[in-house]
Amino acid sequence: MDAAHIRNFSIIAHIDHGKTTLSDRLLHRTGTVATRDMEEQLLDAMDLEKERGITIKAHPVTMIYRARNGEDYELNLIDTPGHVDFAYEVSRSLSACEGALLIIDAAQGVEAQTVANVHLAMKQNLHIIPVINKIDLPHANIPQAKQQLEDIIAIPAEEAVLASAKEGIGIEDILEAIVQRVPAPKPTGEKSLQALIFDSYFDTYKGVVILVRVFNGELRPGMMVKLPHSGKTVEIKEVGSFKPKPYTREKLEVGETGYITANIKSPREVKVGDTILDSRNPAAELPGFQEIHPMVFSGIYPINTADYEALKQSMAKLQLNDSALTFQTESSAALGFGLRCGFLGLLHMEIVQERLRREFDMDIIATYPSVVYRVRMTDGVEKEVDNPAFLPDVTYIDTIFEPVVKAFVICPSENIGDLMGLISEKRGVINQTETIDSRRVMLTCRIPMNEILIDFHDRIKSITRGYGSMDYEPDGYEGSEMVKLDMLVNGEVMDAFSSLVHRSKAENRGRTLAAKLKDVIPKQQFQVAIQAAIGGKIIARETVSAMRKDVTAKCYGGDISRKRKLLEKQKEGKKRMKSMGSVDIPQEAFIEVLKTS
Amino acid sequence: MPPEPVRSLYIHVPFCAHKCEYCAFYSAPPGGDQVQRYVAALVRELEWISDDCRPDTVFFGGGTPSLLTLAQWETVLGAMHRLGLAGPAEWTVECNPATVSADKARLLRDAGVNRISMGVQSFDGALLERLGRIHTRDQVFRSFDILRQAGFSNVNIDLMFAIPGQTLDVWRSTIAEALRLGTEHLSCYEVIYEDDTPLYEQLKAGQFDVDEDLTCTMYDELVDRLADAGFRQYEIANFARSVPGESPDAIPSRACRHNVGYWRGRDSYGLGPSASEYVRGLRARNWANTTLYCEQLERGRRAKEFAEALSPLARAGELAAFGLRMNAGWPFAEFRERTGFDLKTGWAEEIRNLCARGWGEVTDTAFRLTRSGLRFADTAAALMLRPEAPASENARPSAGSRIPLKAA
Repeated sequence: MDAAHIRNFSIIAHIDHGKTTLSDRLLHRTGTVATRDMEEQLLDAMDLEKERGITIKAHPVTMIYRARNGEDYELNLIDTPGHVDFAYEVSRSLSACEGALLIIDAAQGVEAQTVANVHLAMKQNLHIIPVINKIDLPHANIPQAKQQLEDIIAIPAEEAVLASAKEGIGIEDILEAIVQRVPAPKPTGEKSLQALIFDSYFDTYKGVVILVRVFNGELRPGMMVKLPHSGKTVEIKEVGSFKPKPYTREKLEVGETGYITANIKSPREVKVGDTILDSRNPAAELPGFQEIHPMVFSGIYPINTADYEALKQSMAKLQLNDSALTFQTESSAALGFGLRCGFLGLLHMEIVQERLRREFDMDIIATYPSVVYRVRMTDGVEKEVDNPAFLPDVTYIDTIFEPVVKAFVICPSENIGDLMGLISEKRGVINQTETIDSRRVMLTCRIPMNEILIDFHDRIKSITRGYGSMDYEPDGYEGSEMVKLDMLVNGEVMDAFSSLVHRSKAENRGRTLAAKLKDVIPKQQFQVAIQAAIGGKIIARETVSAMRKDVTAKCYGGDISRKRKLLEKQKEGKKRMKSMGSVDIPQEAFIEVLKTS
Repeated sequence: MPPEPVRSLYIHVPFCAHKCEYCAFYSAPPGGDQVQRYVAALVRELEWISDDCRPDTVFFGGGTPSLLTLAQWETVLGAMHRLGLAGPAEWTVECNPATVSADKARLLRDAGVNRISMGVQSFDGALLERLGRIHTRDQVFRSFDILRQAGFSNVNIDLMFAIPGQTLDVWRSTIAEALRLGTEHLSCYEVIYEDDTPLYEQLKAGQFDVDEDLTCTMYDELVDRLADAGFRQYEIANFARSVPGESPDAIPSRACRHNVGYWRGRDSYGLGPSASEYVRGLRARNWANTTLYCEQLERGRRAKEFAEALSPLARAGELAAFGLRMNAGWPFAEFRERTGFDLKTGWAEEIRNLCARGWGEVTDTAFRLTRSGLRFADTAAALMLRPEAPASENARPSAGSRIPLKAA
């Protein structure tokens, strides 16, 4: 199809605002999927995910739509992961488009996630078509949704398309708006092929399937192409699109989206954001490529130390379709062998942990998550530290910089006081307070990322009884008074509990941890000191008093074999305990504290 | 040449009028003709082992042996006399203070029983009720008088501490009353929360807390008060009134010889449901089910639920471990004689370790735990055990063994 008749767009929506239903409606209306196939299609996709363990994160679908002007258009819907944890992947998907549908729930209005995603789309210069959805609901408030659109997103209200995806209202209007308002793709004017890689997934038979958008030139099977950031030159085996099932095509031309395969076996060799170029006559790369860097790190350990190999294999499988996930072996004196894992953000971390538990049946424990700090040494060298255990000696540290995020919190007006309190407790600064409607306000704040790692979202939910929402985007680094908090047992550092915390919070956290550890460390035959320390300075201490006896004055009758077996079991158990500062500590004790801190 | 006969015999009487809240020993209320059936089965089992047993200690435990009627006792005692099992140097019968009668006391004494162990547990009425005991405080004194009048000059009472709700003061007055009673022996047990006991369920349900510190204090109090009153501790939970002239290092003469036999690793037969025995390298246990026990014996076989053959080293490790529960520890010569192993060299590292912690001491002739070591006898015992596992559960005796083991 000629570029003038191609439209590439994505859909931005808050969870539950109707993105899936609308996508289905569009597929149906354009005849891409027949009504009777609809359910089957969706099930197929799910089975595929289950069977092969893949997640098609940015699955593009090609639809042919005959517009009111009588001409056929190729509409490419490029689905995006909905969360800013995947901000870079979202940005690459968005940059494969010229436009975006912004769905706003007519009853619920603008949510924090919507704001964060619209910001991303605007950065990519996409034309945004607002869709006010669910207008059929009895408590739909269209004027209010329009008002929010103008006030929060700064888009003229008259541009909004009114729709109900569920009832099939406004679908035609949406399709027309896409044709008329979303700009047609234009060749870049470069001398040869330029195709953007916006995602990839792994197929057992074809190898890595690379999802692409052609910006210049064309892609055909048999072509030799170059992937500059992978340093690879490969021959294209297959070219195709999705409808939504994959189908092969002769070629992909300027403005079109689809996939290519090239017998690539390792997903790590394909980098999202890379540009596919002609190998003999390469053009310039498209702008915006970044190596993906994990933002949050945490140690993941098998609860049963014998499961380490299984854990490693499970992670490798997950990584096949999640190239943003990184891991390497680490070992902890307390927890044995485990993996230091890097995640794009909190949600990503939760998803991975959840998938390990559910899909791979792994029993795991995660250590206190850490963000990536930048440490400027006294000699001027800068280092990145993602594991508090590897923080250089303080005497060589000039400044520690911590990552900061811009967070959007939307909450009922009556909770604003409590939320301001929470944000300031989390060392955040509120930059802006906007009224969204008569009930809700949006707080825009700058807040250290490490403060939102643990319970920020939960606390917002509990303060607002579930009505609040939160999202964030990275917002650079800032110098900060971070200190390394160590927990010691009889003088020996317990590595699993070391963390970098802000000086103002170290003492409190140290006390809390010491108290928790005191509860779980069993009495020994001697006194045990549990201490929290910053540098060499002890800031909190708890004491586990010595056991006074372990023998029971029991009546055994003639049956000492039961007692012997009990003692043998205890002896076995003791071997499995971790001995720290000559204190025998069962692994369960560590796990107990990690679970609740 | 037949081997030396076994010198120790335990008989379990598996009936109780009412199950106590803490008790995990096997017993059931006596129903219908079951007691009668049990007595008949027991006589068969006595007949079975009589050729191989010439006991110098006999112990009737339970359950509640005193629950048997006069006629039932006559049957059992008669069989023992007939089979040459009577007349041991120490013959103990356990009694509940609520079931002691003058007739029964006289019958037992006349048959040769010379030691009574009475399950008193507490002198506090409220705690007795808490434990589910059927006797009253007054019955203790009455029964004790009956026993003395019947001629029993060697009486033990069992006491319990760390009972939920028991204060240190209550425990102190229980100790004082026990001492005033003037028995020759005291066994003092700590409340243990065993699976499947009501007390354990209550603990799990959070109805009370365990105060380990208080338990320790009660134990220290016990050891000190009894020492003051002229009792000698000879095992973690056992105290005997000292007799003038006995050697302070030896086991007291009023110690329960039958139990000392267990800790010293003497072979012993165990008869009756759930009873354990250890005979020539084979440990076995009867079914903890009276009906099943009776059925097996009625078919002419012993009612073994389980048997294990311990290797000599494993057995030696076990004895090294449990022998240390006694204040006298292990005389090296006796250990060698009993096990064939040398404690001093075979357990040199453990002995050094325990001595270094101040828990053990080596004399010219023995190794024993110190006062503080006795508080950690479980850790000490675990050290002394030898890892070699027993051959297997339900193991058959080795070839050539003459232990009858027809039923699995």
